[in-house]
Amino acid sequence: MVSDLHYWSRLKNNRAGLAGLIIVVSFFLLAVGVWAGLLGQGWSAAGGERWAPPGAEAWFGTNLLGQDIFQRSVFSVRTAFEIGLIVSILSTALGAALGAIAGWYGKSWVDGTVLWLAGVLDSIPFYLFVAAVAFALQGKPWAMQIAMIATFWTATGRLVRAEVMKLKTREFVLSARAIGLPDLLILSRHVLPNTLHILLIQISITFVAAIKTEVILSFLGLGVQDGVSWGLMLAESTQEVLAGHFNNFLAASIMLFALLMGFNLFSDALQDAFDPKQAAL
Amino acid sequence: MTCWGKLNPVILSDNKPLYKFLTIAALVVGAACDSTSPTQETGDRGYSIYRHSMDGAPSSLDPAQASNIYANFLAVNLYDTLYRYKYLARPYQLEPNLADGLPQVSSDGLIYTIRIKPGVHFIDDPAFPAAKGRALRAEDFVYSIKRQFDPKTRAQGAWLWQNRIVGLDEWKENGSDYSLEVPGLKALDERTLQIQLISPFPQLTHTLAQGYSAIVPREAVDHYGQEFAIHPVGSGPYRLQMFNSAGAVLVRNTGFRQEPFNLEAEGFDPGVHGGFELEALEGLTVPFTDRIEVEFIAEDASRWNSFLAGELDFIKVPVTQFDQVLESREPLSLHPALAEKYHLLANLESGFVHTDFNMDDRRIGYHPEPQQNVRNKALRCAIIKAFDWPKRNEVFYYGIGQVFPGIIPPAAPEFDEKQSMAPVQRDLEGARMLLDQHDWNPSNLPVLEYGFPSSVTERQMFEQFRSFLGDIGYPAEKVRPMTFASYGDYARAYLNRDVMLITIGWTMDYPDAENTVQLFFGPNSSPGSNSANYNNEEFDRLYRSGSSLQASPMRTTMYRNMNRIVIDDCATISGVSRKMILLWNRELRMLPDRSFVGGFFFRFVHTGDAGTNPGEPAQ
Amino acid sequence: MHYALNKLAYGGLLILGVTLVSFSLMVWFGPDQTYTLIGKNASAEQIAEVRQQLGYDQPFAMRYGRFLVDLVTLNLGASNSSGEQVYSILKKTIPVTLALMIPGFILGNLLGIALGLLATYKKDQWIDRLITGLSVTGMSISFLVVIIFLQVLMCTPYGLNLFPVRGWQVTDLASYLHYVTVPTLSLVIIALGYNTRFYRAVFVEEAGKDHIRTAKAYGASPVTILWRHVLKNSMVPIITRFMFSIPLIVISGSLLIESYFGIPGIGKVTFDAITSGDQPVLKAIVGLTAVAFILIQIATDFIYKLVDPRIA
Repeated sequence: MVSDLHYWSRLKNNRAGLAGLIIVVSFFLLAVGVWAGLLGQGWSAAGGERWAPPGAEAWFGTNLLGQDIFQRSVFSVRTAFEIGLIVSILSTALGAALGAIAGWYGKSWVDGTVLWLAGVLDSIPFYLFVAAVAFALQGKPWAMQIAMIATFWTATGRLVRAEVMKLKTREFVLSARAIGLPDLLILSRHVLPNTLHILLIQISITFVAAIKTEVILSFLGLGVQDGVSWGLMLAESTQEVLAGHFNNFLAASIMLFALLMGFNLFSDALQDAFDPKQAAL
Repeated sequence: MTCWGKLNPVILSDNKPLYKFLTIAALVVGAACDSTSPTQETGDRGYSIYRHSMDGAPSSLDPAQASNIYANFLAVNLYDTLYRYKYLARPYQLEPNLADGLPQVSSDGLIYTIRIKPGVHFIDDPAFPAAKGRALRAEDFVYSIKRQFDPKTRAQGAWLWQNRIVGLDEWKENGSDYSLEVPGLKALDERTLQIQLISPFPQLTHTLAQGYSAIVPREAVDHYGQEFAIHPVGSGPYRLQMFNSAGAVLVRNTGFRQEPFNLEAEGFDPGVHGGFELEALEGLTVPFTDRIEVEFIAEDASRWNSFLAGELDFIKVPVTQFDQVLESREPLSLHPALAEKYHLLANLESGFVHTDFNMDDRRIGYHPEPQQNVRNKALRCAIIKAFDWPKRNEVFYYGIGQVFPGIIPPAAPEFDEKQSMAPVQRDLEGARMLLDQHDWNPSNLPVLEYGFPSSVTERQMFEQFRSFLGDIGYPAEKVRPMTFASYGDYARAYLNRDVMLITIGWTMDYPDAENTVQLFFGPNSSPGSNSANYNNEEFDRLYRSGSSLQASPMRTTMYRNMNRIVIDDCATISGVSRKMILLWNRELRMLPDRSFVGGFFFRFVHTGDAGTNPGEPAQ
Repeated sequence: MHYALNKLAYGGLLILGVTLVSFSLMVWFGPDQTYTLIGKNASAEQIAEVRQQLGYDQPFAMRYGRFLVDLVTLNLGASNSSGEQVYSILKKTIPVTLALMIPGFILGNLLGIALGLLATYKKDQWIDRLITGLSVTGMSISFLVVIIFLQVLMCTPYGLNLFPVRGWQVTDLASYLHYVTVPTLSLVIIALGYNTRFYRAVFVEEAGKDHIRTAKAYGASPVTILWRHVLKNSMVPIITRFMFSIPLIVISGSLLIESYFGIPGIGKVTFDAITSGDQPVLKAIVGLTAVAFILIQIATDFIYKLVDPRIA
């Protein structure tokens, strides 16, 4: 195994990446706060004055129903993390599993099947897929996540497949096979851990993609059904901005932007750190 | 005057007076520099254009499929119906359109004889031999109604005449063969129709003012097949020039029968209609405008922006803009700067919005055990008492919607203005008492499933409903949304009795309470229009005896009693009729309507151009 | 020859797979259009009739079989919602979508390439950092936010009010520019971040190679190096990206833009068909998408061979 120290030190030196990480962790703490029932609990109370400006009662003001925009934005952090984490971790795991199998049994029918499946899923219009899954699950909360996982794994799958095909020719793998270790063991214990850098990067990239997709899906009515998310807030805001009420729009956009920016900076730093080509320089 | 370069700085604060000013400034500037305003368009040819906006798109241009209000609007302009509603008379009154007069009805109320006007032609179209439109005959009406009962048409209006006309349902059962006669639907000669009913149907004439009853030529249907839905061939005042998902263009049908406009016949009342400059229209030939451009803009934001930019002559103002546009609510008035440029009309909708309890659902509706039945009713009544109508009205309808108890909306002639508003007044005390007395508490309350098709407004209404119930101690986790990705899916669910609380709007087909009380008539339960699956013997009995009666004080009393029954049974949280704010360019002389007159008003729109009006009679 | 046949077979399998999966989704999970096509007060018989008209009552295998046959013979049928022939719907809307999306797509990529080259040239200097920073920013903004913001900024009195809010009445070049500007702007803003970053990475990698160092040692000017060596040799990844982002941008991207700006293109038609369950339209679009995807793959391979003879 290649030494990790080199990578981690490069990571630490990347200031933008660190800033990104700090942002992400802060948001994560907010999400934990909401999960723990400490923050953002008043997101659905429709008691306040309509479209109140920011004030002592409601820090970002209120929306049409008199709901507190700040509370809703904070609760949306939890929604974002729930969706982001579930989709990114599961889709990356699925991609890793299928990619590893395809790469290991490269150029065989197994490989062919996985590639074909990836090709098929990539060719289906995404919204058709999500809508269909949403209808199938009758509006249950998991429809959107399942649809996203089913389509996002392909990117990871292809990358892992390529990497595994490369690793297959490495000495330590060849020796493991020579000893007679079972394939599955080699894959899980020796090969996959060497793809960890790819997986980490993919998780962070997919997190961003998942949140962005959720925003659009919720806007179209196919996303979050109960609760609140930035996508729903933006959907509400399209009517409000016309009447000159920008608070909903600004709150959701800015928080969304901040989280995505943090993640992008961090994942950029990860890629820079783990990119073997840069190591040569 | 160039419209480009109107630079308004973007100010990102919450300064409301500033936004109001900006909106008004924009409207004023927009109206002034609008490059395609009617006055500028008229040259020596006097070609007039009216640009209308609709907040939705038609379901189809085939009258048999004119299931939404937008389709109805267009259908009645492209085709002729036997009857229509008087342009100006309020309350709405029937008026002969293609018919020569009101129907002659036999004394037993079963035989209707109608004569149609002479000299009516279909437009020229390749579907006809030599591409020449032929004269319209009484047979065409017979064909058009028969079509509704032909499965191949995929018609949606058959319910209006189902089990009403002698022999029509059998005709369908026997395979919808057009060569076979229907005894109750006959053309006595080229210009005379006779309809024979199975039992008295006082609202029959009203159904003949619906887009569904519009008269289509068989040649066109046979020629175009399924594409007939986008290739209309009618005899109405306009013909179609262009149609796509974004809009339609109607141009004057030069062969339309010449009918001079008669103010008095249309119900003109100087006291009510004085400010609209309609007097000058007396004697002019209908239709007044050469070209109507209709834009289908469902998104409020886009529609409003388009109007602000001067691209439209008419708009139904989105509720979110009421604040910016209205100076005061009582009386309803425009901001003075706008009032100079635009006319305002507050148009009460011809329907109402209500939330039904699915009485078929044992958790909230009828229960075989009498005691549980009583408890359920108490729960329903408590929920109704907890509903804050003024707040609902204020947030979603700008406070100008009309809240009323029961199921007879203000647009119906039988509406009782003096009835007690107690059923729609919030009574938290009473609600809590009911819950207590009947052993309901947060731990045994049922989970309420509130169904709605996914959209921002519907979701907000749900959240507001949840907070209303929170005020009587209903736990928030027990009020759950049941969302559907499309309206069709929602309809499927509630028509299959799967939805517990059903929020729907009903648009009346004609100004008669029979149209709304039938919503609670037992036999009409799902998949019929009785989505509440309400079943009350007394109500049904009254309905049956009232349905054959002509409008009369006695019948009105009956309907009001039926209303009382539904209210007492707490079967539905009802209701509110929305008031629409219609704005149009002051240069236009018209009285728009989005209620029963609907699309019929297009032919009376006068663009007030200074040039030669092609509608004016030759000197 | 063998290669070509192989590709064709693979393509065919892919089309089969896509159509099967999509068709299954539509049939088993898609919205039931019956309920939008029945009138008020429908009876159970009427509902059954409509279902039969729509073909819902036939067995799956038969419906799928007919679907394939229709696809091959290009018998696309008519929309269940509007009655219009699917072929004519496609004929009207595809050109609109192409006219709408192509300028933004091309501009977004060209600008991305230009900025990527610039950043590579000035690597690690402040320009590079600025460009990289901007591209990360660009990647962090939601498409939706951009569209809403631009519409308010460019098309309403709260902003500059220079362009129409919606619509597509294009008769000549002037009106085309009038309607296409704001959508193009949104597309470019959204795609630029990703494009720039991608191209920069590709160019940086290429620039680090030995033959570039050699060229520099020989005193070639920066422009020559960038143009002749870096850019030309990066054609493979550039083309890959270009080609493979076509379906993504054109089909999915056009959906939001067309809905928001009221442009009658294929994206809006697709979405309406998806939510209403208009199967004839959906079948045609899914089939076309699959075929287009295959064709793009084949075209990409072909272009590779043209550009880089090293690829076998």
